Amino acid sequence: MGVEDGEPLDEKAKRMRDLLSSFYSPDLPSASLRPNASFSRFATLDTINATSFDADHYMNLLVQKANLEELLKKHVEMASEIKNLDTDLQTLVYENYNKFISATDAIKRMKNNINGMEAKMEQLTEKMMSVQSRSDGVNTSLLAKREHVEKLHCTRNLLRKVQFIYDLPTRLEKCIKSEAYADAVKFYTGAMPIFKLSGRKEPSGRYRSVSEPWNPVDIDDDRVLYHPLSGKVFSDSESIKARAEAVMLLNQLNFPVETLKLKLFEKLEQFLLDLHLEYKDLKDASADVNELPNQGNVNVSASAAAHEASIHEFAEALRAYRVIFLHSEPQLFKLAQDLVMKEFEAAHQQIKKQLCSADLLAILRVIWTDVLLLDKVLPGAALPDFTMQAALIAVKDYITCALSHLLLDISDAFSKILGMQKEGTEEVHPLQTAFEASKKAVIQGSMDVLLDFHHLLNENSELLLKLRGFTMDWVQEGFQNFFRKVHNYFLLLCGKSNSASQDRNLIEGVPGDKVPAGLVLVVAQLCHFIENSAIPRITEEIASSFSGGGVRGFEYGPAFVPAEICCTFRADGEMFLHLYIKMRTQRIAVILKKRFTTPNWVKHKEPREVHMFVDLLLQEFEAIGAEAKQILPQGLHHKHHRTDSNGSTTSSRGSTLRDSRMSRSNTQKARSQLLEAHLAKLFKQKMEIFTKTENTQESVITTILKLSLKSLQELVRFQTFNRSGFQQIQLDIQFLKSTLKDIAEDEAAVDFLLDEVIEATTERCLDPVPLEPPILDRLVNAKLTKTSQ
Amino acid sequence: MQGGSTGVGYGLKYQARCISDVKADTDHTSFLTGTLSLKEENEVHLIRLSSGGTELICEGLFSHPNEIWDLASCPFDQRIFSTVFSSGESYGAAIWQIPELYGQLNSPQLERIASLDAHSSKIKCVLWWPTGRHDKLVSIDEQNLFLWSIDTSKKTAQVQSQQSAGMLHYLSGGAWDAHDVNAVALTCESSVQLWDLRTMKTTNSIQHAHVRNVDYDTKKKYMLVTAEDESGIHIWDLRKPKFPVSELPGHSHWTWTVKCNPEYEGLILSAGTDSAVNLWLVPPTSDDSALDSLVESPTRRVEPLLHSYTDYEDSVYDLAWSSREPWIFASLSYDGRVVVESIKPHLPKK
Repeated sequence: MGVEDGEPLDEKAKRMRDLLSSFYSPDLPSASLRPNASFSRFATLDTINATSFDADHYMNLLVQKANLEELLKKHVEMASEIKNLDTDLQTLVYENYNKFISATDAIKRMKNNINGMEAKMEQLTEKMMSVQSRSDGVNTSLLAKREHVEKLHCTRNLLRKVQFIYDLPTRLEKCIKSEAYADAVKFYTGAMPIFKLSGRKEPSGRYRSVSEPWNPVDIDDDRVLYHPLSGKVFSDSESIKARAEAVMLLNQLNFPVETLKLKLFEKLEQFLLDLHLEYKDLKDASADVNELPNQGNVNVSASAAAHEASIHEFAEALRAYRVIFLHSEPQLFKLAQDLVMKEFEAAHQQIKKQLCSADLLAILRVIWTDVLLLDKVLPGAALPDFTMQAALIAVKDYITCALSHLLLDISDAFSKILGMQKEGTEEVHPLQTAFEASKKAVIQGSMDVLLDFHHLLNENSELLLKLRGFTMDWVQEGFQNFFRKVHNYFLLLCGKSNSASQDRNLIEGVPGDKVPAGLVLVVAQLCHFIENSAIPRITEEIASSFSGGGVRGFEYGPAFVPAEICCTFRADGEMFLHLYIKMRTQRIAVILKKRFTTPNWVKHKEPREVHMFVDLLLQEFEAIGAEAKQILPQGLHHKHHRTDSNGSTTSSRGSTLRDSRMSRSNTQKARSQLLEAHLAKLFKQKMEIFTKTENTQESVITTILKLSLKSLQELVRFQTFNRSGFQQIQLDIQFLKSTLKDIAEDEAAVDFLLDEVIEATTERCLDPVPLEPPILDRLVNAKLTKTSQ
Repeated sequence: MQGGSTGVGYGLKYQARCISDVKADTDHTSFLTGTLSLKEENEVHLIRLSSGGTELICEGLFSHPNEIWDLASCPFDQRIFSTVFSSGESYGAAIWQIPELYGQLNSPQLERIASLDAHSSKIKCVLWWPTGRHDKLVSIDEQNLFLWSIDTSKKTAQVQSQQSAGMLHYLSGGAWDAHDVNAVALTCESSVQLWDLRTMKTTNSIQHAHVRNVDYDTKKKYMLVTAEDESGIHIWDLRKPKFPVSELPGHSHWTWTVKCNPEYEGLILSAGTDSAVNLWLVPPTSDDSALDSLVESPTRRVEPLLHSYTDYEDSVYDLAWSSREPWIFASLSYDGRVVVESIKPHLPKK
């Protein structure tokens, strides 16, 4: 039993717990007991603990299964179990009851405690209120005093500051005496806020009395401090650092440093101006140095050294100012650029005075060394670039200047010719000398200028090396423009250009249409010369030295186009040659016109001698011949003769025909005469009278001759002659025939034209009876001997 | 003329200096020309271009008492024309009428309507107003300008006014402005004088020497073309007479005559003593810049010479545009050869 007791005891305790738990949580056992109900049919004795326990069923089962002994045993077992359960129940109920009672007690106690609390709370509130009111009272009573204390504190501070300021002058003085400017400035700047404060608070009235005495102190301080400081800044003897510090201190003092700066810069600018003045002399000096490097002229080198010194000085000043004034760089750049500009201005003035390239080079060299010096001081100023730009312009100017001088030289040559002709200077070959002079002016001048330009290219200085390409282009461009100008000048000179806007300075008081014909011929020849000799030489020169390195874009092509210039001058040459011919023929035409319009040909008297107009005519031809022979080249004689041999035979045939016809003209009718003339012309090769004029003596003379004779013919056709008039013309023409042979190259054409004149006279004659050949010969010979005398 | 010539030829018997377009003949392209023969009987030829333009037909042949130095057809009556003639020393001018039935008559005689016989010195030319019917006529002698009032129906001619150009100015010719019935240009030795016929005074002058011939541009007002002995052809704007508007090289020898085309602006014909006729096309010059460029770049400008007709045996003294077919002109060389040409093949293609 003891062992069994142990078991049921555990079991009992467990069951109790189950029961209690089921009591507090009824759901739990139902879940575990449910399967028991389903197994009720197979119920065992264990189901007694299940909720679905069926007592009857259990009894039946028990009775059926167990024997008596077992039943009794069961009975005892069950009875004890029931007793146990009862006690358990009792204890459970009791325990729960106890708990309930204690809970009730607690609640009762709580109720009693709460009853007293409300009164206490009210009391507390009351007390709090009273505390608050008291504290408010304390506060208000203390406020006034506290403010007072604060104000007193403020006053004390101010008083302390005032004390400081009153001490300031002495302190500053002390500092200045000991040259401790930095401390002085520190003190002063320390005092500054107070000054400002006082200044601001002045209107309030309270501090007025205090601040009034400060003002004089203030100003006094300024003077005391500024004076030594600015003096320091201005004095060159001080070290740059000290000066820079002084400026910084001044800056701290709110001193208008800008005005100081301005003054200093003005000083510097003044210095620049002075420099410029002495610079002019220096140009020559440095140039001389270059020209005479061996002789070492003392004077010259001294002035060069002076220039160098002044530039150094300037550079030093720049360096100093750059350190001294923090933000002064733009101004300094400007100053440096001004210097360069001035130097270039001087250079330009020199260029205008027609200096040679060596001088220009010297000037550029000086400028470049200066610039390099300045560049070291002011690396940010981009001075080399600036100088490059200026040098570009200078070189360009130089080239244009040189070429315009060349043009002036040429025009001078022409004015000399004009002057000579005006004065009537007797010279054997005025045109030839003029031509040679102008030729020389063109070729020698161009060559000199080119040589000069060559120097520019050969210079090895950095500046000019950079300019090389540009220089080449400008030289080319310059020559192109130069020849264009020469062309325009020629046009102007010969009165071919009527645009009044053109520069007439080149022609000194020579009206366009009064140009002597000889000059036109010179111009024509000069054009020819330029086209054939000058241009090729210049082109060659340019090609050898001034090409290849150009910076000009390829799309523009080279600046110097010799073909174009040649073309222009070829056209010009032809035009001027024609102009010359025109001028000459015009003069002759006037003589002829006078001859034929003055006398009354219908009432002409019998011819006694060759008319004097022939002399005038021959004089003109002589003059032309003289002019042409001076300047124009000789033509190829043989060639002309060969080509003309054909013409001359036809002409002689024509003239023989005409001669025979003339002899018959007395008897035959004029109508048949005309018919015959037509027939003759039909069979005869057409005489080319107006051939192209070539640039030779012979060609020009012949052309003028032909044109004059043609004019003669035309004038004859306007008149009506009697027999004597006709004979007079016949006589004159006969004489011309014998004399013009020597002048004209194209004999055939001249003969032909003279015959034409005779024919025209015959046509216009009322009674064309020619002179008898013996009489004709006699009169002609008489005239010939007369002229030869 | 016998080879390579494109023109239609017609031969006069004698030498001749003048040819005129018969403007009043609107049905045919015809020309009048007169011979210049000292000793023979001179003739006036009325020439008509056949409808095909391949042949020149003599429509009328009239004898004229003296050698003819100038001939002008009346612009409003095709049967009337004027001549200036001379015999030895004496000069005269007359207005003639072609008889109506000249085709049927064997030797038709010209009917002299009026003699312009107030002149005391060498008569140079007679001008008709080129534009239309006008009862006035201008005649020019070496020193004077005459304005005649003519009535062709009454066959009278009276001097309306007369003015001397001054002793020192030898007048050589002139032209009547087609745009202005009162404006006449006269050429003298040293200048071109512009006259107003109402006041009979010089209004303006172009100081340019040796002008041989002058013609007004019929298309463009104020434009005058002059031909000089040596210096070629100049074109002037009468409002700016200081400088020529344009310049043409002219001929190898004297440029004798210039004629503006009546229809096409800028087309100019010139004839010269170098036995050539040149056809020019002047680019329209509206302002001075064109002139400048012309002067400055002589090599670059457009060649104004369209064609040069050189198939002449002698100097060409006169030419005439046909007003009916303005692309046709007739030229007359001194040897009495009339050539009618068409300029069509030489016009620039547009």
